[in-house]
Amino acid sequence: MQKLGDFKLPQFFNYPPYFTLQPVRDTREKQIQLWKDLILDYCKTQNVFVIAVEDQDFPLFSNPAIERSLTHEAREAFLSALVSQGRAEWLDKNHRKCLILWHRIQEWANIILEFVKENGLENSVMTVEEIRSGPESRGTELHGIDRTVLMRALKLLEQKGKLAIFKGTTADDEGVKFSA
Amino acid sequence: MRRRPGIGGLQTAAAARDQYRLLGENVAKIRTDLMKEQLTTFRTQLEDFARKHKNDIRKNPAFRSQFHNMCTKVGVDPLASNKGFWAELLGIGDFYYELGVQIVDICLATRPHNGGLINLQELCNLLRQRRRSDREAVSEDDCLRAISKLKVLGNGFEVISVGKRKLVRSVPTELNKDHNEILELAQAQGFVTVIEVERRLSWTTGRAIDAFDTLLDEGLAMIDDGHKDGIRRYWFPCVSSISTPGGADT
Repeated sequence: MQKLGDFKLPQFFNYPPYFTLQPVRDTREKQIQLWKDLILDYCKTQNVFVIAVEDQDFPLFSNPAIERSLTHEAREAFLSALVSQGRAEWLDKNHRKCLILWHRIQEWANIILEFVKENGLENSVMTVEEIRSGPESRGTELHGIDRTVLMRALKLLEQKGKLAIFKGTTADDEGVKFSA
Repeated sequence: MRRRPGIGGLQTAAAARDQYRLLGENVAKIRTDLMKEQLTTFRTQLEDFARKHKNDIRKNPAFRSQFHNMCTKVGVDPLASNKGFWAELLGIGDFYYELGVQIVDICLATRPHNGGLINLQELCNLLRQRRRSDREAVSEDDCLRAISKLKVLGNGFEVISVGKRKLVRSVPTELNKDHNEILELAQAQGFVTVIEVERRLSWTTGRAIDAFDTLLDEGLAMIDDGHKDGIRRYWFPCVSSISTPGGADT
């Protein structure tokens, strides 16, 4: 079985026609489903948040072993399918970059709440950077989280009154105060 | 002067008929008895044989297949009923029903990938993987027998021969001769191209594309435009196992 680092690639990844967008609807739906699962699975285990559609080095977009790579059309089709399912979002109008949400924003928000509870951070203040890379989050899913995703989850929690976001002078020192 | 028919003559004729009938009945009875006796002997022998080789029949697929052949020749079907003597004696009825269920399971699980047509060999491999806890080996012959038992559930399952290989069909697709020929051609590399079909089978482009379109619609084929020569390839998951991609670089 082919591997990417410690990531085990599924068998269909070695079958050339899966790299061509299928013309028959049923077959294409199955194909898209397989790719969606693969992309989510890969991004989750490898901590990838943003995929650039034209990125030649993104390992899922080509398989040198069988000399196949996904066309632009196919890449966009698979990512769009994730978007329509709420598991991804286009970051620009031209569909060049895609934010992958293997956890939905709501799920990320719950992870943050859990994190606050476990570390007794109620009523405490943390900077956004601290949440992403500080010692408290080490070993949790929050460590290394994409800033856009984190801010979206924080804003969702702010709307629910679970915390307050306050701005510093630069983007770097935006902070959060967790409610009790 | 010719004798006219009288009551005496009629009576004699009737008596003779009765005699003949009696004699005939006797002969027939003797024959049937003899036949019955032979059959009983045969049955006992067969039972003895089955009992003696019970373990071989259960464990050894080749032996099992030969035993089945022998039974077919003499008109005995050990699988005819699950409650019958044979099933009780050998327990092989259950064995095949179990295989049947597992085969249905595998066919359904792989259907999204292969469109409901699977190579018998691959089916067997998957079956063995699934049953690895069981010590009893499973041969292709066993698979075929189990599939033939599935026929009672309607004509959903069928084994078709394409070239040298056998394929198991679990969708009610009717494949015509053209489709079969394409599948046969595809067995070499797992895929074929329109040009190849035109050349090897001497078909017109229209005929080839028509057949390909049907196969695509049925979910039995997938297109591949990714090769560097730019020629579209038609892949058939049912003839090339996905776990061993063959001929990918040719």
